[in-house]
Amino acid sequence: MMVRLTLAVAIALSAFPLYWLFVVATRANDVVGDWPPPLLPGPNLWDNVGRLFDAEQANFLLGMGNSALSSAVVTVSVVFFSSLAGFAFAKLRFRGRNALLLVILGTMMIPVQMGIIPLYLIMVELGWQNRLEAIIVPSLVSAFGVFLMRQYAEKAVPDELIEAARVDGCSTFRIYWTVVLPALRPGAAVLGLFTFMGTWNEFLWPLAVLEADNPTVQFSLSQLSTTYYTDYTLMFAGALVSTVPLLVVFVLFGRQIIGGIMEGAIKA
Amino acid sequence: MRRLFALATVVALSACGAPATDDGTTLVVKTFSQFGYEDLYREYEASHPGVKIKEENIGKLGDYTPKLQQWMQTGKGAGDVVALEEGILVQFMAKPDQFVDLREHGAASLEPNFLPWKWKQAVSGDGKIVGLGTDVGAQGMCYRKDLFAAAGLPADRSDVGALWPTWDAYIEVGKSFKGAKFFDSAGGVFQNVLMQQGDHTYYDTSNKLVIDSNPGVREAWDTTIRMVEAGLSANVDQWSPQWNAGFKNGAFATIPCPSWMLGTIEKQAGPELKGKWDVTRVPGDGAVRGGSFLAVPKQSQHQKEAAELAKFLTSARGQTAAFKSRNNFPSSPQAIDDPVVREFTNPYFGDAPVGKIFGESVKALKPVYLGPDNIAINDRVVNALTAVEQKKLTADEAWSKAVADAQRLVK
Amino acid sequence: MKTFSERFSPYLFVAPFFVIFAVFGLFPLVYTAWVSVHEWDIAGQGGFVGLDNYVMLFSDPDFWNATCNTIGMLVLATVPQLFCALVLASLLNQKLRGLTFLRMGVLLPIVTSVAAVGIVFSQIFDRDAGMANGLLGLAGFAPIDWHADKWSSWTAIATMVNWRWTGYNALIYLAAMQAVPRDLYEAATVDGASKVRQFFSITVPNIRPAILFTVIMSTIAGMQLFTEPLIFGQGGFAISGGSLRQFQTLSMFMFEKAFRDFDYGYGSAVAWLIFLMITLLAVVNFLITRRSR
Repeated sequence: MMVRLTLAVAIALSAFPLYWLFVVATRANDVVGDWPPPLLPGPNLWDNVGRLFDAEQANFLLGMGNSALSSAVVTVSVVFFSSLAGFAFAKLRFRGRNALLLVILGTMMIPVQMGIIPLYLIMVELGWQNRLEAIIVPSLVSAFGVFLMRQYAEKAVPDELIEAARVDGCSTFRIYWTVVLPALRPGAAVLGLFTFMGTWNEFLWPLAVLEADNPTVQFSLSQLSTTYYTDYTLMFAGALVSTVPLLVVFVLFGRQIIGGIMEGAIKA
Repeated sequence: MRRLFALATVVALSACGAPATDDGTTLVVKTFSQFGYEDLYREYEASHPGVKIKEENIGKLGDYTPKLQQWMQTGKGAGDVVALEEGILVQFMAKPDQFVDLREHGAASLEPNFLPWKWKQAVSGDGKIVGLGTDVGAQGMCYRKDLFAAAGLPADRSDVGALWPTWDAYIEVGKSFKGAKFFDSAGGVFQNVLMQQGDHTYYDTSNKLVIDSNPGVREAWDTTIRMVEAGLSANVDQWSPQWNAGFKNGAFATIPCPSWMLGTIEKQAGPELKGKWDVTRVPGDGAVRGGSFLAVPKQSQHQKEAAELAKFLTSARGQTAAFKSRNNFPSSPQAIDDPVVREFTNPYFGDAPVGKIFGESVKALKPVYLGPDNIAINDRVVNALTAVEQKKLTADEAWSKAVADAQRLVK
Repeated sequence: MKTFSERFSPYLFVAPFFVIFAVFGLFPLVYTAWVSVHEWDIAGQGGFVGLDNYVMLFSDPDFWNATCNTIGMLVLATVPQLFCALVLASLLNQKLRGLTFLRMGVLLPIVTSVAAVGIVFSQIFDRDAGMANGLLGLAGFAPIDWHADKWSSWTAIATMVNWRWTGYNALIYLAAMQAVPRDLYEAATVDGASKVRQFFSITVPNIRPAILFTVIMSTIAGMQLFTEPLIFGQGGFAISGGSLRQFQTLSMFMFEKAFRDFDYGYGSAVAWLIFLMITLLAVVNFLITRRSR
């Protein structure tokens, strides 16, 4: 009983801000600053969303599309490369392994905000200003991902399985593909979710390298907040709509992620 | 699903490839906030065959500034015409070499087209013309007519303006005012008072920091502190949600308002308060806050064409058009005297003759020299004032802190 | 004798990371180091100044203030967060009805757009009409000006961080817990060990790599805390983190120096010091967890 109660409270706390976001996005501007705040939805959702998509200068739909595309590509790439490298670091012996792992760990400690100007220099050289490549390519690998996959592979992939496959004459990549990757699925699903969210929420770098005519979703929202800063419910609608794709990804794949975790348990 | 696919195609297309360049010239104009140039671009393209104009706008000045710096540092991306807010312009004035000297493109003769102080702001020590003025943040004082009437004060705009010939008078009115806080926050008012204190602020004209020796700064500080200590400030950060809400719920009765803020007030206060907000003259002799310039970066591949465009956009006619479009108040005396501007009234504010009110405010103003780190120092002074409003520091502590911060910054 | 595949595959597998990192990670790092030993303002590079920027930094009270704030918020956000995540994960790691729904429920904050977090929490911690003060008022307390003090601003920001990331860490723990062999628990149950006892003597030691991972990741993320305090501090000069820099973090300080005060050389020196501090902290973290094994 205590368990259920604790979980219920945790879920209520988790969900409340999202619920409240939805409530305000369905209201008209006159609720701003009211006390007590509105707690039930109103009738204005479609009106607010309509104004959102009509908003000049924000290019909201394009921003959503750009973010969806780049987040998807980055996610697939990060999961693939991270599980590959994580497997190597966890299960394969090779000279320089620990040193290389330390380097990867070290790269996580670089403060991201400072890289903007040198990264922009590179993009100028490559001619990628205002193009999605600038968002996608530097993010194709992730130190966090390698580290996460390594930690996970250590526990989740039994050495005997790898040995058995080797005895059967599998190449190392074959072993990765047929033995390791399936065992890594829960971890990979978690990493995929985090990577997608991370790319979707990225703000500073897209702002630096893109222009408002080819934005990402957070960039669009920022544009919205200046031109329409006084339009409170419009901002709420924007924040809500920008969360919907994440929720969709979550509902579609969340079951798989959680299912994957369960499956990993059975195998281990 | 098909929709989604179509969307993906659009995305892929737009992601792959800059706009095709034909034999004509494409001029890229970098702006922040709203300059209101759309119609002018079309007109210019029509009269200059072969020239295409693309504006790349960033909504927030705070987002635009790092980008601008990145363009300047890397020598790429600044486009052909770039908008510089006055606080940023002064940063560049000490080292103006990143911009085309517009004298080379016949701008020297344009001096009479601008208010003298606006013109001087963009002329370097050795006479280079770095930029051409666009708008000025002409100040008025917006006030809630209904709250004034309820407090037993005159509500008509000329009577209200007569209540406060000076800031001291403004404070006295505030002290006797009941029913709401008198103004929104100390930072905004301070800026207004400061800009009326002679020909320089934190720096003297040789770029020496004089924050602690310029009596004008201290005067503006003391005046503002008196207002805070009299309890006149609602202490709401500008641009925060409670500030937005304050326009509607009557959290404050007056606010020094640059011309471009009228649109904000109208939108936020909503149609039900139409005619309840009004605008009158600001205490003291006029004031400005903000305002911008157009410059041509050296990295532009089309300097000549870009200079011509900048001249066109900042001409009296260009400024008048921008005013009509977005209420950006002109810095050209000819535009200010243009009947379109002078006779402009604002129906939301009870048909207030805003063109006339703001025009008088601007013309009364004497030139103020700003200096390199003006914005950063002002940020620190405003923070110190906020700390006093929050009762975290006494006025004296806050003043010493502001001065020390400024000195450390400049060192 | 190792086969060709055995010998070279490992390098091939880790190569993509290093290739991309060399281009998009290493260059910025070196470039930043170069800038940090120069005078570098809005007009570009000035002269070489050696370690002047670093020396100046050590006597800059704003830098130390930001360091103190960052570490304070790090502790305030990380400790409760990881503890709650551990509890949540262990609650979710058992047979319950509607388990999938429950698990997805606690993960909702992770899938919230950062814009939504900002807009909702700035309302909650609004001084005049915010929900937090509203609830305090119902309980008979005076409203709090959340921005004005260190403790209140840190609490508000830590709340945002905790809200966003507890579910994330719970998921990592849950994934690790699922890899703990069931028979360990079964044996313990047969021996009569309580659930709590099982948690501390089986679950925690077995997910140690995951715990180490989250501690290090939270430390790194906490040292680079930027978005939440920036969202919390509204108004034009939000980057200063409050009127007296009550909640300015190191990353905000760096950004302010480089992009607001246009002192790019100085900002780069801050960046390098942050890098060194995080590395130091991570090593200390690592050694402590190692030793206690």
